[in-house]
Amino acid sequence: MIEVESVHKQFAGRPVLHNLGFSVPDGQITALLGANGAGKTTCLRIITGLLGADSGRVLLGDIDVARDPMAARRQLGVVGDREGLYERLTVAEYLSLFARMQGLSGGALREALDSIRSELELGDLWHRRTRGFSQGERMKVSLARALVHRPRHLILDEPTRGLDVLAARLLRRTLLRLRTAGTTILFSSHVMPEVAELSDRVLVMAGGRIVGSGSPRELAQHTGCDNLEDSFVALAYGDTGGEEEQRQERAPA
Amino acid sequence: MRCYRVPLDGDGLENLAVMVAPAVNGSGREPLYLLAGGPGQAASDLAPLLNAFRRINRERAIVMADRRGAGRSGAFRCGFGSDMPADLETFSRQLAQCYLQKADFAETLSSRQTVADLERVRRFLGHGRIALWGGSWGTRTALLYQQWQPESLSALVLDAVAPIDTKVFLTAGAAENALQQLERDCVEDVVCARFGDWRRQLDRLLSQWDDGRAANFPDPLTGAPSEQPLARWALANAIRTALYDPKAAAQLPYAIDQTRLGNYRPLSGIAGLFANRTDSMAMGLTFSVACAEELNRISGEEVAADSANTFLGTAFFDLFKSGCEVWPVQPKPYGAPEPRDQPVLLISGDADPITPPVYAERQLDYLSRKQHLVVAGGGHINSPRGCIPELIARFLDSPGKPLDDSCVAEIRRPPFMADAFGPALDMGGAEQ
Amino acid sequence: MEKRRFSPQMAPLLLKEFLETWRDRRALWMAICFSLMFPVLLAGVTIFVVKKNTEETTRLALLGAENAPLLERQLRGPNLEVEAVAEGSPRQLLNDGYDLVLQLPDNFARDYRDFRAPPLYLYMDSSATGAGRAEHHLQERLNSLQQLVVSQRLTARGVAPQLLAPWQLQVRDVSTPSSRGALILAMVPGLLILTLFVASLATSVDTSAGERERLSLETLLLQPLPAWQVIAAKTLAVASLGWLGSLLAIAALVALMPVMPLAELGIQQATTTGGVLAMGLLLLPLALLVAVVQILLALRSSSFKDAQTQLSILQIAPVTLLMVLDAARIDLTDNYWQLVPLVAQQQWLKALLVGESVSVGWVLAGSLTCLLLVAAAIAFGARALRRESLLGAV
Repeated sequence: MIEVESVHKQFAGRPVLHNLGFSVPDGQITALLGANGAGKTTCLRIITGLLGADSGRVLLGDIDVARDPMAARRQLGVVGDREGLYERLTVAEYLSLFARMQGLSGGALREALDSIRSELELGDLWHRRTRGFSQGERMKVSLARALVHRPRHLILDEPTRGLDVLAARLLRRTLLRLRTAGTTILFSSHVMPEVAELSDRVLVMAGGRIVGSGSPRELAQHTGCDNLEDSFVALAYGDTGGEEEQRQERAPA
Repeated sequence: MRCYRVPLDGDGLENLAVMVAPAVNGSGREPLYLLAGGPGQAASDLAPLLNAFRRINRERAIVMADRRGAGRSGAFRCGFGSDMPADLETFSRQLAQCYLQKADFAETLSSRQTVADLERVRRFLGHGRIALWGGSWGTRTALLYQQWQPESLSALVLDAVAPIDTKVFLTAGAAENALQQLERDCVEDVVCARFGDWRRQLDRLLSQWDDGRAANFPDPLTGAPSEQPLARWALANAIRTALYDPKAAAQLPYAIDQTRLGNYRPLSGIAGLFANRTDSMAMGLTFSVACAEELNRISGEEVAADSANTFLGTAFFDLFKSGCEVWPVQPKPYGAPEPRDQPVLLISGDADPITPPVYAERQLDYLSRKQHLVVAGGGHINSPRGCIPELIARFLDSPGKPLDDSCVAEIRRPPFMADAFGPALDMGGAEQ
Repeated sequence: MEKRRFSPQMAPLLLKEFLETWRDRRALWMAICFSLMFPVLLAGVTIFVVKKNTEETTRLALLGAENAPLLERQLRGPNLEVEAVAEGSPRQLLNDGYDLVLQLPDNFARDYRDFRAPPLYLYMDSSATGAGRAEHHLQERLNSLQQLVVSQRLTARGVAPQLLAPWQLQVRDVSTPSSRGALILAMVPGLLILTLFVASLATSVDTSAGERERLSLETLLLQPLPAWQVIAAKTLAVASLGWLGSLLAIAALVALMPVMPLAELGIQQATTTGGVLAMGLLLLPLALLVAVVQILLALRSSSFKDAQTQLSILQIAPVTLLMVLDAARIDLTDNYWQLVPLVAQQQWLKALLVGESVSVGWVLAGSLTCLLLVAAAIAFGARALRRESLLGAV
C-alpha cells in the first residue's frame, strides 16, 4: 500500500504538486497518467524519497518515507525513466552489487540472483557488460535490479518506452505475476492500450494534482468516453479547455 | 659548504676548524681531503680549488681541515702579517720572541700530530676510507698519513711532490733547473728569444747588487722608492718565487732584460705579484715543523753542494737556518718508508723550482701503484690547469686504471711578455 | 538519521565505484599518460639543456687572424673552435654556419703595441639559438687573455696587479647542494599536484555529472544507503586514480633521476626510499580533497561538458597559485602554512625532494586538517544530493 497524503511541492516558487493525495492498494497494478509536465516524475521521486515534499507525507506500508528513508528503500523497487545501468559492469556484477546494497548476502544473495536470472531470462546476458545492450535488454536488466531484493512495492516510470514486442511482453508477464504475488505496483505510462490492458486502477494527473481515478472502465463511464485515451484527454487537458474549478468538480474524491 | 669544529683533547687548542663542501650527489664515494702546503698554510685557503674540482665534488665531499696552528685552528702567526721584515736579523729576533712565548705549543706541532688529527676528523665526520689530495708540503703530510694510517686511505693525489726522504728545503738546485728550463723555452719562442742572454744579465744583477740599487728599488704597491731596501737574498728569492707561477715566469726575461737598461720597474712588478701572500703562512707552524722535520737532517755539505753554481745560492736556506737557530724544537725524524700499494697519482711541473719531477720519479720506489703526470713548463701546483682536474676525477673514480694523459701536453706556458704592451699578439710581427 | 554509521552495504558501493573507475580505460590512460609525461619531459629538458651547455662548441670565424696569430691561438679552448678565415663578409660567414665572426682591423697589431686600444668587431646573429652561449664562450676566452695582457702591462710599469683589486671579496656558498637544487626542483611539487588534479579529472566528472546525465545516479540514491556514503565511495574511487597518477609520476621521476644530469646542474639527488614513501603518503589526503572538490563542482555544474570546463579551470588555479607563491617568494616558512592544503603538500614535497626532513608533527597536523576538510566536503555533498537541481531533469 502506498499512500500519498496532501503533498505539496514547489520548485523555485513554482508549484509543481498541489495538495496531491491518492493511494495505491496492494496486489494491484496502478497506472499514473499525465501529460508531460503534469508532475508525474516529481510525484514518483517524492514517493521514492529522492525528493522531500514541502508538506504532506508519503507512506509505504506503514513507513513514512521522509522519516525512515532507508527502511522505505528496502521495500521499494524502482525502474526509472532510463535504466540506470553501468556500462562497465557485467549483468551479474551489476545485480549482485545492488542486491548487496539492499542487504542481501550469502545464500540469500545467491538464491535471489538465480531466481531473477531465470525469471527474467537473463542467462545469455549474465556475463556480458551492459554496453551495447538493446533497449529491451537494458529494460530487463533494470527490472531485474529493481526486483532482485523482492520489494513489496514496485514503481516504474514509463517502463515500456522503446521496448520491442518480446520485451514488452516479458515485462507485462512479470508485472502480472508480481501482482499475483501481492506486490504493490505503480507505473507511469503514455501508452494507452497497455495501460488499459495492464492496470487495475488508473490515476490521471494534471497541474500537480489527481484529476481522475478508477478502473479504466470507471473512468470511461465518468467521462462519457468509450476508450481510455479519450477519457485521459478529457481529464488531463479538459475537453472543454475549461478552468480549474471545472476540473476539480469533475474529479472524484 | 658546511663548517664543523672537531673537538681536541687539550694541548692548548680546543678544536679544529673543518670545512666540508658536500658532494652534490651523495652516492657514497669516499670523500677527498685537501692537505695544504707550507708547512703553515691552512686547508681552508684551498677553497678556490673547489672551482676546478667541481666535477670531483659532484660525487665526493671535499674536506678541508685546518691543521693545528693554521688558519682557523688557532693560526700560529708569530705576529708576522703581510709585511715580512726585510732583514734576517729583525726576522730572527721577532721569531725568537714568539718561540719563547709559546715554546710548549711549538713543540707539539708536528706531522705526526697532524696525521692523528686528520684521523680524528675522519672519524668525527663518520667517513670510512678517504682519498687525499696533497699540494706541496701537503704531499708530505699525505705520504706520512699513508705510512701511519694506511687502512684509512683509498687513494692519493700528490701535486708538487715532497717525498718523505727528500730534503725539499734544499731548493737552490731545483730553482736553478727551473730557471734553465725557462731559458730553454724562451729560446724556442720567437718573441722571447730576442731578449738574448738575459740569464747572464740576471747573474750580473745578483752579483753586482749593492746598497744603492737596493735603496732605489721601487715599491710595487706605492710606486715610490722602497722604504726598506731590497736585500740581495730577497731579490734572489723573488726570482725563485716568480718561477712558481708560469704566468709570472713568462715576464722574467723581459723584466731582467729591462734592468740592463736601468729600468727596475718590471722586476718590481713581478716581486709585487707575490707581495701580500705571506699572511697565509703561519710562521710559528712553519718553523715548528720545518725545523723539527727538515732542517735538522740537512748537513752543511749538502747545503753547499745544492747551492753551488745556482742563482739562488743559500738565499732561501739561510732564512730557515737562521730561523731554526732561534726555534729549538726537538728533531722529529720519520722512519724509513714502508711499501704501500694504494693507487697514487703524482703531478709535477717540469719547471717547478722546489719540487721538480725527479723527486716523484726517484724517491717513491716503495709505492707499487703510481702514475705520474708531468706538465711541460709547469710550475709549482698544476692541479687546476687544463685537463688535470678531469684526470684527477677519473683517477679517483677508477684509481687502478692507467690514465690517458695525452691532454697534459696541451697545457702550455702562457705567452711571454714581449714589451711594455704585454704579449706580442702578432707573434713578433713583420714590422719589427 | 544513520548518517555517520558505516553500513555493510558500503562495501558493494565501494566495489561498484572502484570497478567503474578502474575499468574506464580512457580515464586510466589519460591518468597514466599525464603522470609519465611530465617526468619524461623534465628528464628530456634537463638532458637537452645540459648537453647544449656542455657539449656544444662555438665556431668562431676570425677575419684578419694574420694580424694577431697569438690571439688566434689563445682564443682556442675546449668549447671555442677558432678558424682563421682569409676573407668573406661577416653576414655570409654567419650564414655559412659560424656562430660568431670576429674581425681584426689591419692595423690591429700596431695599435695594440701603441696602447691605442684597437677595436675588435664581433658579428653575431642574436636571433640564432645559442648566440648568447657562443658570445659567452668567446667572452670567457677574451677575458682571460685580457687579464694576461693587463697583468703584464702593469708589471712592466712596476705596478703590482693587486692594485686593480682594491679588496678581496671571498665568497663562501653556504647552501648545501640540495638547497641549491631546491630552486630548480621547485616546480616538481607543483607538477606532482597538477598530476593529481589531471589524473582524477576524467573520473570525477564521469562519476558525478556523467552518472547524473545517464540517470544512474538516481538509481544509486534509491538504494538504502546514506548519501554521505555515496559521496565518500566516489571520492575514494576518484582519489585512488589521482593518487595512482601522482605515485606513478613520483616513481617515474625517481627512476629517471639517475639519467638526468642533475649533478651537472648542481642538484643533489637526495631522495631516499623513505622520502619517496613519505611523498606518496602525504599526497593521499590531498588526493582525497581534490577528488571530493572535483566531484562536488561537477555535481553542481549544469552538464557533463560544463563540468569538464569548470574542472579544467580548477586544475589550473591551484597550480598557478603555487607558482605565484613561489615566484613572489612569499615566505612560507611559518609553520602555520603547513595547515593549508596544497601549500603544505608543496612545501613537504619540496623538502623531501632535496632530502631535507619534514616535521612529522606538522605533517600529521596538516594531513589531519586536509582530512577534516574532506569530511566536511563529503557532508556538504551529502546534503547537496537532496537538492532537486542536483538531480537534474526536473
